[in-house]
Amino acid sequence: MRLEHIVLHNLRRRKGRAIFLVIGLLIGVATVVTLLSLTDAMGQRAQHELENFGANIIITPRSDVLSLNYGGIQLAGVNLVAKELEQSSLANIDDIPNRRNVATIAPKVLGAVEVDGQRIMMMGVDPAAEFKLKRWWSIAGRPVEQGHELLVGAAVVKRFNLNMGDTLKVNGQDFSVVGLLAKTGSQDDQLLIAPLDVAQATLGKPGQVSMVEIAALCHDCPVDDMVNQLQTVLPGTDVQAVQQVVKTRMHALGQFRLFAWGVAVTVVIIGALLVFVTMMGAISERTREIGIFRAIGYRRRHVLHLVLMEATIVSALAGVLGYLTGVAATLVALPLLDGGKASWQWNPTLAVAAVFAAIFVGLLASLQPAFRASRLEPSEALRAL
Amino acid sequence: MSLIELKQVNKRYHNGADCVTALQELNLAVNEGTFLGVMGPSGSGKSTLLSVLGCLTSPSSGKVCVDEIDVYGLSQEKQADFRREYLGFIFQSHNLIPYLNALENVMLPLAVSKLSSAEKRERACNMLKRVGLPDRMLHLPQQLSGGEQERVAIARSLVNNPPLLLADEPTGSLDSATSLQVMNLLSELHQDGQTIIMVTHNRENLQWFDRTIYLRDGMIEKDSAGDARSFSKAV
Repeated sequence: MRLEHIVLHNLRRRKGRAIFLVIGLLIGVATVVTLLSLTDAMGQRAQHELENFGANIIITPRSDVLSLNYGGIQLAGVNLVAKELEQSSLANIDDIPNRRNVATIAPKVLGAVEVDGQRIMMMGVDPAAEFKLKRWWSIAGRPVEQGHELLVGAAVVKRFNLNMGDTLKVNGQDFSVVGLLAKTGSQDDQLLIAPLDVAQATLGKPGQVSMVEIAALCHDCPVDDMVNQLQTVLPGTDVQAVQQVVKTRMHALGQFRLFAWGVAVTVVIIGALLVFVTMMGAISERTREIGIFRAIGYRRRHVLHLVLMEATIVSALAGVLGYLTGVAATLVALPLLDGGKASWQWNPTLAVAAVFAAIFVGLLASLQPAFRASRLEPSEALRAL
Repeated sequence: MSLIELKQVNKRYHNGADCVTALQELNLAVNEGTFLGVMGPSGSGKSTLLSVLGCLTSPSSGKVCVDEIDVYGLSQEKQADFRREYLGFIFQSHNLIPYLNALENVMLPLAVSKLSSAEKRERACNMLKRVGLPDRMLHLPQQLSGGEQERVAIARSLVNNPPLLLADEPTGSLDSATSLQVMNLLSELHQDGQTIIMVTHNRENLQWFDRTIYLRDGMIEKDSAGDARSFSKAV
């Protein structure tokens, strides 16, 4: 026979109240777990989408001349000499502190080539990186992989009336058309896209790149910092962030996260109040019992121990059940909220935090009732006898 | 040798502007092994005397010594230890914990002791056997008769081997046959050397006491010490 024995017997006897307490806290924990899991899942989904959305940092060779190009309109008579970057210098990107936030590095080489006496822009790309970045490209056939293969922009297809499998003579070399790019409405329609090394050789720019597009995940880092870091490791370049994309998504996510925390804190406060009121009621109900304990020689701390242990057991149970309920609610809600694109992932930190937070809230809310019980004078309690 | 000594004990209850004096300049010495009966009309201070003796209600003034310990000079926590080690309480309404069986109720004072579980159980079993309930150990209070509940309460009060047993009208809610059983049990304990102070309204219980005090208005009006027969006639 120990104090724990008394607590367990009391919980068993007052099942109704114990269940009420567990449910009260459980709802709080489940709500918090659901909201945080949803935010997490949607945040991860958003990050994933950001990866696929395209570049948000662009690196170009530094130019002392201001661009006279806007929306694809090049002012007549302006002839800019394009500089190139050394492809080998891109290895420096690995040295930046936020390297883990760099999802994709897509180098490109650009230059004019001659096809049937007409000058056309050729773009050499790293196929793996480029096609990961440009998920919105709709390709008939397949992307280029290696060798003298071409993916042809819609405008070029129309101009030369090209079909899949055709051979195109570019700068005197035969290229096989493996893919036709559907109309994008951008400058991509005007391009011949080839593997990077082949394009570099064709354009006479071995080991050189004209620009680099980077997809950076800035979930927990400012894009500006990354721009500065890239600028440092790539001297002689202009690094620009397409910040709008990232910031809009992150702002929306941040707002949702804030809302989720707001709701979670409110629910937890309500849960704590519920525990407080129920425990106060329980102490009043058990005045007589506490009087007996005190009369037969229980110290104040023994009474405190009894009440707080009861709160701990109830809260821990509510924490575990609340977590499981929260996970179940998340699994039900995710397909409805994000069209089934976001997926739930086991987060051990959240599981442990949910149980400990429930115990913490339960204990905090029970402290005052417990102290009240421990301060009951035995004579006062026994007056009811 | 006096086990209990009360010197100039006063107890006043305040309720707003009202002040009720429950005990007045009370002096009392009780020897070890005494079976003391405390009688008196309602409001005479019997239960207050028991509370003061039981370290449950501190006196407004005066000194209470048990086994030469000034009990109200102890800290709150030490007073709790004192109650556990020196006192056994028997209440009128048994006051058993309803969700614990007879054995667990008897073990209750031992729950905070450092004895092993087996030792606690053995002590409680022995005590229940001593009060004649060897076959009711696993019954809940609601499954026991009033007399059995009282005997469980007595067993609980004795499980710590306290030098002093305080009983507040232990037969008050029992029929005469059951009362007789309980008084017989208390008498047996007394014969084994247990010091008992028992509050009662019932004059029939006088026969069991070897000393009786009669309280009125918080003072000892009569004390049978040395003259029990004349006391019996007087009350």
